[in-house]
Amino acid sequence: MKSAPFEHHEPESVSEAVSLLESLDDPTILAGGQSLVPMLRFRLANPDVVVDINGIDSLEYLREEDGYLKLGALARHADVEDSDLIDERYGSFADTAPLVADPQIRNRGTVVGSVAQADPKGDWGSVLIAHDGEVVVEGPDGERAIPADEFFLLPYDTTLGEEELITEARVPTPADREGSAYHKLKRKTGDYAMAGVAARLRFDDDGRIESAGIGMTAVDITNARASEAEEALEGERPSPELFEEAGELAAEASNPESDEHGDASYKERMVDVLAQRALGDAAERAGAVKRRVTQ
Amino acid sequence: MSDEREITLTVNGTEHTIEVEPRRLLVHAIREDLGMTGTHIGCDTGNCGACTVLVDGEPIKSCLMFAAQADGSEILTVEGMEDLPDAGPELHPLQEGFKEEHGLQCGYCTPGMLMAGKALLEENPDPDEEEIREAISGNLCRCTGYQNIVKAIEYAADELDDAERVAADGGALAADTAGDGGPDPADGPLYEADAGDADTFCGREDCCGGPSTDETHPGEDPPAQFDTEHMGGDDE
Repeated sequence: MKSAPFEHHEPESVSEAVSLLESLDDPTILAGGQSLVPMLRFRLANPDVVVDINGIDSLEYLREEDGYLKLGALARHADVEDSDLIDERYGSFADTAPLVADPQIRNRGTVVGSVAQADPKGDWGSVLIAHDGEVVVEGPDGERAIPADEFFLLPYDTTLGEEELITEARVPTPADREGSAYHKLKRKTGDYAMAGVAARLRFDDDGRIESAGIGMTAVDITNARASEAEEALEGERPSPELFEEAGELAAEASNPESDEHGDASYKERMVDVLAQRALGDAAERAGAVKRRVTQ
Repeated sequence: MSDEREITLTVNGTEHTIEVEPRRLLVHAIREDLGMTGTHIGCDTGNCGACTVLVDGEPIKSCLMFAAQADGSEILTVEGMEDLPDAGPELHPLQEGFKEEHGLQCGYCTPGMLMAGKALLEENPDPDEEEIREAISGNLCRCTGYQNIVKAIEYAADELDDAERVAADGGALAADTAGDGGPDPADGPLYEADAGDADTFCGREDCCGGPSTDETHPGEDPPAQFDTEHMGGDDE
């Protein structure tokens, strides 16, 4: 099926894009298009005006700067997947990228576009939450940073203003003793998550957990934080028992719906298991624990 | 409202200038405006990968990109494969592989599979089976069960590797004991299932369905055990 006709604008700078968003009537922003293009074709979205930001070269970046890992709005999933910086320092990002959709879609789709889409089954929102990340937006009144916790409102609904463009997603650079991971359950390549958990752990010099972040995918109306589990972890030393407790608390905090892939109690159990695995990997990557060879 | 605009696409080395509406998908521009129907439309939803083409060397699904977004790009479609520098006199080694290894039945997915295979071999000339399965994980095949597609891509990798060796040897014949241009029987049985390798067909990950997935399955891998000696601190 074809999209309804639309006007196609291709700004070459962020300021040009923002003036277009300001002056045009109800424009839709097109980045990687891997969700939006099918929505247009099935006429689930019928914008008269599309602002295509793919020509804004200044948004093509993935770098560390000013204490943040910054992903420009045109950083594709494949850019994250191929990045040495990500491999070395950002376990959760390295885990997540190859699990998004399939290779072709990862070549076009963007991390920021996935966050903007705000599908509760999207992976990146959970990663941003676990890292206390932010989305940086540019609008008529200038720039503002929205914490991930305050960004997601409902499925496909966020606090982004109608005249604002997300230019960047960012997370603080990790401390020396910090590690993160993402575990996702899905039936096959290309599927969205049935459940997913991102975890980040920072340890103090004494080996105790100084700060913990846990974000959950596909088990609530938005990507969600497991606050009680985080509180239970902080100040403690890592152990399988502690992570079991955190897994249970994350499962309790989740609110999944039964569907054809599994009932709610099964998904809660999966949150528990995935959280324990993600915490185990995060602790190992932080250098705080050493995995015992079990075979 | 929806004015046509002029775009230039270089498809298989030939430059084409066409007028398209902004809503024109790249796959429709290739098939209908340029008349190259080798690129298929399968699912219309971005799932099946039949419409995969290479845009500036990267595999993308041409049903998920507007033609106007490809303005100025170099595009490779299945029609261009036989003219690539590494192609044989008639076909590209990947195409040969699909023929030799029965990598297709109905053939609907094949153009997309060839493009995904081409992108893989460009980046990784000697992929293992897992890497091949990952590379074609965005392409659905409802006939073959994927096994012969994997073999077809392995065949092409071997052929291209042989060709490179021949070139390096200054034209001496590469090892091909059968003399048929096919894979050497000494490389192993052609039909792994016949050789009793039950895992090939009934291993959970590629059983009857899609390409293998690499995610873990709950219940399979118990949570990690820790060595408390390495946890830091000294009050235990």
